[in-house]
Amino acid sequence: MTDVMHNFELFQPATLADAQAILGDHSDAWVLAGGMDSLDWFKHRVKQPAVVVDIGNIPDLHGIREEEDGGLWIGATTTLTEVNESEAVKSRFPILAEAALKVASPQIRNRGTIGGNVAQDTRCVYYRDGFPCYRAGGNTCYANTPTAMNREHALFEVSRCVAVSPSDTATALAALEGVFVVQRGGSQQEVAAEDFFIGPDVDITRMTMLEPGDILVGIRIPAKWAGSRQYFEKVADRNAWDFALVNVAMAASVEDGAISDISIVCGAVQCTPRRLSDVESLVRGEAPGEELESLVKRVAARGAEPLNFNHFKIPLMENLAVRAIRSLA
Amino acid sequence: MTKYGPYDPTLDYAPGPAPTRKGGGVETPSWKPLHMSRRNFLRGVVCSGVVIGGSAYLFSTTTPARSDTRAVERLVRLTVNGRTHSIEVPPNETLAHTIRYRLGLTGTKIGCNQGECGACTVLAGDTTIYSCSTLTHRVREVDITTVEGIAGPDGALHPVQQAFIDEIAPQCGFCTPGQVVTAVALLKKNPKPTIEEARLAMSGNLCRCGAYDHYLRGIMKAAERV
Amino acid sequence: MAYKLIGKNFTPPDIEAKVTGAATYAEDFRADGMAHVKFYGSPMPHGRVNNIDLSEAEKVPGFLTALLPDEVKQPESPVGQAILSDEAVYFGQPILAIAAETEQAAADAVAAVRVDMELLPFVTNPLESLQPDGPNALNGINVAGQGIDFQELKWSGRDFALAGEETLPLGTPALEWSFGDIEAGFANAAVIVEESFVHASNAHHAMEPRSAAAYWEGGKCHVWGSTQSTAFAQPGLANLIGISPSELVFVSEFCGGGFGGKATTYPLMALPALVSRKLNGRPCLLRVSRNEEYNNGYARAGFQGWAKLGFNNEGRMLAADIYVVQDLGSTSGFPDFNNVGSSAIIVFQPEAIRFRATPVLTNTVPKGAQRGPGENQAANMLEPLLDKAARELGIDRLALRLANAPGGGVGAKYGPDQGPVTSAYLREALEKGAEAFNWEERSKQSGVRNGSKVRGYGIGQAYHTAGSNGFDGLLRITPDGILHVHTGVGNLGTFSYASTSRIAAEVLGYDWDRVVLEYGGTTRHLPWNLGQFGSNTNFTMTRTNYVAAMDAAQKLKEIAAATLGGNAEDYELKEERVVKTGDESVGMSFAEAAQKAIETGGRYDGHELPEDINPMTVASASAIAGTGLIGVAKDNLPKEGTVPALAAAFVEVDVDVETGKVDILDYHCVADCGTVIHPMGLAAQVRGGAVMGFGLATSERHVYDPQYGRPNAQSLYQAKPKTYLDIPTQMGWSAVDLPDSQNPLGMKGIGEPLEGAASSALITAISDALGGHLFNRTPVVTDMILNAAEGRPQSHKPLATNTV
Repeated sequence: MTDVMHNFELFQPATLADAQAILGDHSDAWVLAGGMDSLDWFKHRVKQPAVVVDIGNIPDLHGIREEEDGGLWIGATTTLTEVNESEAVKSRFPILAEAALKVASPQIRNRGTIGGNVAQDTRCVYYRDGFPCYRAGGNTCYANTPTAMNREHALFEVSRCVAVSPSDTATALAALEGVFVVQRGGSQQEVAAEDFFIGPDVDITRMTMLEPGDILVGIRIPAKWAGSRQYFEKVADRNAWDFALVNVAMAASVEDGAISDISIVCGAVQCTPRRLSDVESLVRGEAPGEELESLVKRVAARGAEPLNFNHFKIPLMENLAVRAIRSLA
Repeated sequence: MTKYGPYDPTLDYAPGPAPTRKGGGVETPSWKPLHMSRRNFLRGVVCSGVVIGGSAYLFSTTTPARSDTRAVERLVRLTVNGRTHSIEVPPNETLAHTIRYRLGLTGTKIGCNQGECGACTVLAGDTTIYSCSTLTHRVREVDITTVEGIAGPDGALHPVQQAFIDEIAPQCGFCTPGQVVTAVALLKKNPKPTIEEARLAMSGNLCRCGAYDHYLRGIMKAAERV
Repeated sequence: MAYKLIGKNFTPPDIEAKVTGAATYAEDFRADGMAHVKFYGSPMPHGRVNNIDLSEAEKVPGFLTALLPDEVKQPESPVGQAILSDEAVYFGQPILAIAAETEQAAADAVAAVRVDMELLPFVTNPLESLQPDGPNALNGINVAGQGIDFQELKWSGRDFALAGEETLPLGTPALEWSFGDIEAGFANAAVIVEESFVHASNAHHAMEPRSAAAYWEGGKCHVWGSTQSTAFAQPGLANLIGISPSELVFVSEFCGGGFGGKATTYPLMALPALVSRKLNGRPCLLRVSRNEEYNNGYARAGFQGWAKLGFNNEGRMLAADIYVVQDLGSTSGFPDFNNVGSSAIIVFQPEAIRFRATPVLTNTVPKGAQRGPGENQAANMLEPLLDKAARELGIDRLALRLANAPGGGVGAKYGPDQGPVTSAYLREALEKGAEAFNWEERSKQSGVRNGSKVRGYGIGQAYHTAGSNGFDGLLRITPDGILHVHTGVGNLGTFSYASTSRIAAEVLGYDWDRVVLEYGGTTRHLPWNLGQFGSNTNFTMTRTNYVAAMDAAQKLKEIAAATLGGNAEDYELKEERVVKTGDESVGMSFAEAAQKAIETGGRYDGHELPEDINPMTVASASAIAGTGLIGVAKDNLPKEGTVPALAAAFVEVDVDVETGKVDILDYHCVADCGTVIHPMGLAAQVRGGAVMGFGLATSERHVYDPQYGRPNAQSLYQAKPKTYLDIPTQMGWSAVDLPDSQNPLGMKGIGEPLEGAASSALITAISDALGGHLFNRTPVVTDMILNAAEGRPQSHKPLATNTV
């Protein structure tokens, strides 16, 4: 397989308006941020857009701002290293800092952006190898056959496609109830995490609601969970580079020894970050402890439908949820 | 039963005589017609229809380069190791390719060309990046430092380089330029790292020879000397 | 004996270039007007090319030429490997090559080629191919291997039915040998363990892909290639190109990792030379991508196996019955299977053994040697069985190993013929390691749980044959007094090309800074040396450099006697002078002697050469004849027996039973490598071998979708070699440091078992943390550990292979 990129036209606009104009002129233009995911697609020539729009020079898309309500705004092209090293992020939303730190490797975090990390495509090996699967516009899922190698694939919300989101920061941002600011046409839309990440039942060819021409401007993290009790853990085969087998992110409040509010999300178990609402409703008002942990283990992966090689994700997900709750004790 | 004697490595590795067919001579047999068992047939069905005429039996998403979109090379000014070069670079060229093939600085290695080994690590300003996964046009404004720019102008080795020699850190040496650049960046930012900080900082540099322990010892030694 | 250089650390001459970026590897070759070569790899695991359409490719601006399968020599055997093939037997196999003005154009042109291929039956699971109606990887052939006639071999339906799904069917083997009475051994055994198991194949993934460059000039072909060996690779490469060795100038100064995958030459190395010839000798560079490296980089062979081991109450192995089915890949591969049997004999010294093997062709990456080929798989497959026996016998796991491990130097037995070994100190290595690791006290913490983490301890042992003989040494002392050691062994990164050259300096009493090493290419006039593989370098090359140095020493003395009077025996070497014994005022410097050698001519300056040296050595020595005093000799020193490199390792782990993650807390390995030449070089090998072993044990494996025969683990992030964050911060090491009996300075090799000792120790440690759970599958991956800890079934069928 080659690793030499196809030829493309490269635009490097300096303003959001210019970027939009270029995207408007070229319907199949590809938006490039850090390039950590994009360039691999090009090198393997599985995706060969004729026009690439590098949004890395647009100041409006970059940086971390503290908002008046105590929340944060993080520009889409802010690097994962900048997110991880930001005192504001670390002090208010440590799970986002930690999730950013757990991505891939230092050099990838130095170039890779928060916007690119949340919007990256799935790592399903069949899809990335160019198989004509549902996600690629075909009519088969190669990862869900009797012989398919689907150890990294989905437990939930399968709709023809069994791919999962590989993002670590998406899990954390979903737990923090982040809001995704999307430039579409002349206006900016604020999209909640549960609407930003989409499953194959909504659109099988995309992982997010971003359509051609859209630009993810930034992510607003509301003050709601700032300074709350938080927990993030990623389990991957190797401790660098590898994508999560399962990750978990939690933000919770504990009052008088009981969990008063909680948001808990698992990643890499379905196409979108999975909010563990069964766990949330179970633990609200309860005191953390061994008994609660055993109940959490029962419900955390309820409804999972494993494929041939991924049933280990069920106990992994259960145990990560338990560990999150245990951290509140 | 095959004769089995004391192990002789020259036999294993040397190109020996052509293996013989069981019960026959060395002559290559003529191919038999394809025996299609039921199993094979079923498997064939899955692949049928796309077997012939394409570059793939499963798919053919790899299309030829479109000549109408052949990218035009554009002039960039690129500063590498303190020297500014005016060169023509096509938009799809990576920094690793530019450094190695246009500037002739072959110290930077391409190990994977997809951001998963670190042999191509260079500094963009003070930040380590994978030059294989960065478009050259993306770093026009940044000073690039490659492994060739680490030693002093008089050729004096950087303490990291000297410590790597002292600790016999490189083995095959192919990942070493990346290890050197990352270690230098680390000590610039954090002159007295703990060993755990050093491990984390170095974790984007793969070493298939497994010399991690020796590189880390080198970094700790260099930190004492810087 | 007090040595001046041996046992001392030194700075290898090539290491500074490695830290400055000045080291040039094959892809660093540059020439004006250099063309770029790319190849079209098969998009299917087994297919016949019906037609190649280059019409669109030729339109790509910059297209220069294409090289097609019918333009290259095809192998004589169907299990051989062609440079380009019109019947691909594995995914990614080169079918045609294209040269263009730029790399971009070459890649674009390859993308524009249309190859019409017909899919042929394929198989990724050896056992499937052995089934009565199973597919063959090649047409009419499914079994091959070194020493085995290629053939179609099918087992009976009855074999499979008797075995069931969880046990290896014991069908007709392609190879069988035995000694002793295994039935009696099992009858007398206090404990018998019997298990089936799987060992995955895995990629070498050297950091440097096997790129190559070539041009033709002055009637010669010049090749820059990436190989572990220089002299030994040269004739084979010339043969692939189709020229005589004297027509090939071969440069391989640096090799960015090989691990057996670049042991000598290989077909891809010849590709740019053949394309260049079509372009009238124009320089051509082939840069190989990471995925191409995976598919064409050879791989360690996997196994499906079964073993039955019988032990007496003390843990002595009375009988072993072992059967392995090797995944040979798509060519005749590497005889790992032989090494499984031989390592079982040498490590366990069983009183009786039967060994059976069937190497089976699959449409997967061609298999080659990978560090400890066969022996390291054997360690991973069999060491856990020793633990099971020890548990059932109620004896310590170390005690069981000590009851079997060879020790005391000579006396251990090797092979089915029970031949001698040159030295074996595995028992001493175990004892030394147990003491350094504090095994007795620490292993009491086995199974102790702290939160979600459970402590485990493991011991591993491994072997590889570690020495050969019969090669040539060549050196010269120039009139400036400098010693030039010509070494053709190759530069894999172990620095043993340099450390073994120090033997010549030691023998002649040289200061190291007055020694120049001539290595890295045939222009350096290299003697015929074995390559840098098989852990042989220390043993083999110290002998060749020793005999060359002894030859030089004798010539120095003869020249002194002829010049200053007396007999050669009256003289000795002292501080780079040859002086009269008892009267050092009578003597001459080596520089003067070298000048005298040139004046004397004949055998002294290389104009007359020994008759028994290899033609390559003759050519090299002739080329430097008249430039100094030449020391040249074939290694005719006695060698009785097999040279075993042995290692014992100890590991401490925490296994997180909630996540399946393993933390390696501590590691200690003891090497039985004879006299230590270069302590820091050995340390680097011990630790590096361990890192590789940890990957072999817990993460590295091939994954194929059997439906499509496509590799799913081509990238590094899928193949999973270990990173900085996966290894212990500190790793301890030591050496037995007892001399080998058949090396003049007591040295033997060590590289390979350092990996197998580490990997098997880690596997047994994980098993120990889980109360002795046997995975019977290597690698032991996160999901397997978690499933075991949770009491869940594993996802794969017991004997499935090439799956996740």
